[in-house]
Amino acid sequence: MAQKAHTYPPCDMQCVISSKPLISLWHLISGFHWQYFGATFFAGTAALARTGVNLFLGYFIDQILIKRQYGTKLIEAALIFAALIAGQAFSSFMSGKLAAQTGEGSTRRLRDYLFNHIQRLSFAYHSEAKTGDLLERATSDVDTLRRFFSDQAIGIGRITLIFIINLTAIYRINPRLAGISVVIVPVILVVSLLFFKQLSKSYASYQEQEAVLTTNLQENLSGVRVVKAFARQGYEIDKFEGNNAEKLRRGEKLNMMHALFWPISDLICAAQQITSSFIAALMAIDGVITVGNFIAFAGLLGWLIWPVRNLGRLIVDTSRALVSFKRITNILKVPEENLFIASCQPENGVKGDISFDHVSFEYEKNHPVLQDVNFSCKAGQVVALLGSTGSGKTSLVKLLPRFYDVTSGRILLDGVNLNEYSRDFLRSQIGIVEQEPFLFSASIRDNITYGMKHEVSQAKVEEVARDAAIHDVVESFTNGYDTLVGERGVTLSGGQKQRVAIARALLINPRILILDDSTSSVDMETEVQIRAALENLMKDRTTFIIAHRIQSIMDADLILVFDQGRIIQSGTHAELLSQPGAYQEIYEIQTRIDNALQEEIDNVSLL
Amino acid sequence: MSAYYDENELDDNVPLSGSLLHKLGGVIKPHWRTLLGGVLGIALVAVADAVFTYLHKEILDTAIIAGNKTVLWKLFEYYIALVVIQSIAVFLFVYFIGLQGERIRYDLRKKLFDHLQRLSLSYFSKTPLGWIMSRVTSDTEKMGDLLTWGIVDSTWASVNILFASIFMFIINWRLAILVVLSLPVMLFVAIKFRKRIYYHYRLSRKANSKMTASMNENITGVRVVKALRREEKNLENFKVLSSDMFNSSYRAAFLSALFLPTIQTISAFSLAMVLWQGGIMVENSFITIGGLQAFISYIMMILWPVQDLARVYAEMQNAVASSERVFSLLETIPSITDFPDTVEITSLLGDVDFQNVSFHYEDDEPVIRDLSFHVPQGNTVALVGPTGGGKTTIVNLLCRFYEPSEGVILVNGQDYQDFKLKDIQSRIGVVLQTPHLFSGTILENIRYGRLDATDAQIEEVAKLSGAHEFITSFEHGYQQDVGEGGNLLSVGQKQLISIARALLANPDIFVMDEATSSVDTLTEALIQKGMHQLMEGRTSFIIAHRLSTIKHADQIMVINAGRIEEQGTHETLMRVKGHYYNLYTHQFRQELETRLDPFNSKNNEDSRRN
Repeated sequence: MAQKAHTYPPCDMQCVISSKPLISLWHLISGFHWQYFGATFFAGTAALARTGVNLFLGYFIDQILIKRQYGTKLIEAALIFAALIAGQAFSSFMSGKLAAQTGEGSTRRLRDYLFNHIQRLSFAYHSEAKTGDLLERATSDVDTLRRFFSDQAIGIGRITLIFIINLTAIYRINPRLAGISVVIVPVILVVSLLFFKQLSKSYASYQEQEAVLTTNLQENLSGVRVVKAFARQGYEIDKFEGNNAEKLRRGEKLNMMHALFWPISDLICAAQQITSSFIAALMAIDGVITVGNFIAFAGLLGWLIWPVRNLGRLIVDTSRALVSFKRITNILKVPEENLFIASCQPENGVKGDISFDHVSFEYEKNHPVLQDVNFSCKAGQVVALLGSTGSGKTSLVKLLPRFYDVTSGRILLDGVNLNEYSRDFLRSQIGIVEQEPFLFSASIRDNITYGMKHEVSQAKVEEVARDAAIHDVVESFTNGYDTLVGERGVTLSGGQKQRVAIARALLINPRILILDDSTSSVDMETEVQIRAALENLMKDRTTFIIAHRIQSIMDADLILVFDQGRIIQSGTHAELLSQPGAYQEIYEIQTRIDNALQEEIDNVSLL
Repeated sequence: MSAYYDENELDDNVPLSGSLLHKLGGVIKPHWRTLLGGVLGIALVAVADAVFTYLHKEILDTAIIAGNKTVLWKLFEYYIALVVIQSIAVFLFVYFIGLQGERIRYDLRKKLFDHLQRLSLSYFSKTPLGWIMSRVTSDTEKMGDLLTWGIVDSTWASVNILFASIFMFIINWRLAILVVLSLPVMLFVAIKFRKRIYYHYRLSRKANSKMTASMNENITGVRVVKALRREEKNLENFKVLSSDMFNSSYRAAFLSALFLPTIQTISAFSLAMVLWQGGIMVENSFITIGGLQAFISYIMMILWPVQDLARVYAEMQNAVASSERVFSLLETIPSITDFPDTVEITSLLGDVDFQNVSFHYEDDEPVIRDLSFHVPQGNTVALVGPTGGGKTTIVNLLCRFYEPSEGVILVNGQDYQDFKLKDIQSRIGVVLQTPHLFSGTILENIRYGRLDATDAQIEEVAKLSGAHEFITSFEHGYQQDVGEGGNLLSVGQKQLISIARALLANPDIFVMDEATSSVDTLTEALIQKGMHQLMEGRTSFIIAHRLSTIKHADQIMVINAGRIEEQGTHETLMRVKGHYYNLYTHQFRQELETRLDPFNSKNNEDSRRN
């Protein structure tokens, strides 16, 4: 019964996306269609068996007890009775099991698919999307669907079958009784629909208040220093009290709804039951139906009326499930990035000669971020990019791994258009160290080897860690390289994260490097170490460095000064220094700083 | 369902001890009326259920089979009355028990929250936030359920079984024994089942939270995933997690599907026996047809109370564990409280002295060793030095968030532990490194400094701190919503509000932990201005990162490894050419670079939101 890990029947998600809602749902459980039919079938047999129990009881009373046919007939009857009940039990079990298989299996497949799909959506999509929203769709919406398939969809089928079968049985006993007994059913259905709809709303309001209360609590706990510092405990208690009392109030309201619905619907159902039973009893006394019939009828009637109450809830739940489904298909419709399409795949990697040929780029129409960019560099050279925020330098480097594609012009890598390489290949050749690197909740070792597709020896890991000036820090942790980073582990400082990211990049051994050399928010000693690590990293690699320090620029082979998407100056340090322009101004500021510092020191010595 | 979840919950196997029962009793006691109403209501419902079946027997025997319509009318009158009574009983029990549940949860949340306000900072430093949240949200839910539905469901089930058994004995004691004997078997099987189901259900919840965390991380770090080509590997890892979840979830569902049918099948044996033996008894007139039919009804319906009892029992363990956790939090004693003989003070103005102060957290290494210094009133002290050197601890000690392990801290010549905590903490104004705001309006946040301040006074301090300009630039001005934790404002704006708040409090001593994150020059200047307002004439302790703050301090202390490494004014320390000199020159260059912004890399950061 336990399914093999990672294997399940395939499902063509394209069908899911392109059809109408109900058909889409059907496609979503492809591979489980037989299970689903089975679940419905067994729900039917369970209903039949149950009805059979009631009918048999009536038969038993009429044909055996009243006609005094005792003896072996009794034992036979007992066995048949037990068999019917066991049959009902077995059918219920099968129905439940098959529905669970369908629900659990299909949603597990959906979850895996969504995980993969989301991570392959384009950069452009992810910069617009909200994490919380995506997460909710991939988790709680999927869970709503799971419950839909496991419980609600089958439940509706089951109740309908029970209703039809029991009504038929009653009809066969006496058509007039059947007519009388269904009068109340539409009323119950409507009442329960109305109730559950209203309940949904009230419950949403209750949950909203719960969220308010949780936020209140969380802020209070995380701001405990502020609360104590201003001695605001009394105020906080009052504030919480207000929210707490409101939750109580809403809960009481919700409770009142329940307290009214159940007895009132009980009364309505009971009214029907009493009336029908009474009429049936009269019929039995008058001989229109037999005693056994009456007994059977009493049993059947219960199953006819009471389950309809639940139907209201199931219908409301179904409409919610459809909403969740829509939200999921909206994501499924977004196309993924293609990673592997290539017309050029050099065996030994690339050298790293890059040139930009009249490259323009924009994220949205008519808002160009890069305009007519032209330059070229040879393998192993350092290109420094300068310019204010929004000047285009960050966008330029995003084009290299093809996170985005150029709008016009072309980029050449080793003389071949960048678009001819696959994204996967390019990214294997490019290493990136960001300003604020993202590390995963995993061991330090796992984080360093994150970009590797095969096993890496501990020696190799330590080697790159040493080059990145992080080895000593890691060794100082109790668990060394197995130390967990992130929420469940240690929190690394900004400087430490940068060095892990540098080690990570070193291990990949890329031909092309994209760097942000900002080392703000680290202390002096760490800054020196990071510089050294970066220097190791940049050896023999074509490097694009988004510069914040004059030192890194001075040694660059090519400096590009950006303004509003255009390169306004380019050349080496010496060349640019002799041209009047932005670069000169920048360098001049640097000299001013040096002088100011010297002055400062001198001032003190004089005192 | 609460989002906060403690992974270790699965391993709890807490027995129901006498003292725990006593404490639980204490929680219910104020609500004894609703409890009574609920229990009576549900008992009535259960009795009515049993009576219905018996009434049916009577109808069958004395009215239908006997062919007596008069009796039929009378019996149906009883029937109607019983239905009405039961409906009222249902209303009563749902109403009372639901009410009780909400009220008990309200009580518990209130008690927990109020108690948390009394606990010391040390508790919060060593206890994860999620853990505490889980106590107040998820554990109180479970306790509420235990004390309401737990009691009600077990009452209903027991009364139901009891009365059904009584009626069965009344009808025919021999058959009754047959049925009653099968009950323990059913109950035993049911409990075992439910426990397994519950176990797998909780496993699946645990797996679910792991899976969600993985999904979350993958989405947050998607750029790195793409850059490092981790899509395939991450999917593989994820599939393991989703498999785990599937396995336990399916297992729980499978067992659930198997559960009732199994109990039903067991009862099928009783039914077969009853039918057979009962048929023989009808033959010998030991039991009427109605009686037999009633028996069959009772047996078929006993399924429900049996499985209810099993459910309550299976879930009880977990609920008991929750209760233990809640009580243990309520019983935690705050580590810093007022001493018995406190001295009343009206101000904290005066010289501040640390005399041979040492401090260590729990059993760790000492963070501060034998620290002594004297600060005349009104002086500004700048604390500098490497991370982890002890600066924050000194400030925490001053605010009496922690108390010295050795040595003494004097204010105006008197040991500050002689004063009430509230008196100390309400007279020290604090601005933290990462400013913490509460959801609400800007006005409410500033007012936190002094609750009885008028709007005009708030505006005044906002002007002094330099916050007024940006506040009035918002659509709703002072009524602008700051968002959860202040996330609708930028870091610089939060700092300015933080300063305004401290100004409003008009403290005697000012403590600040300067932010290291850079903001744009304009906001920077405003923050400086606001800080000077606060430092004016007040004894101030600043954990300083900005050179202008440090340079103009009356005293600078370089704190390293828990000791004062260097101490003096800016000029004297520069001449030493030691630790301070290095720090200063490095930072000077950095600050100038940021200010003169040669690369224009930080344009208008504050005009954007976080």
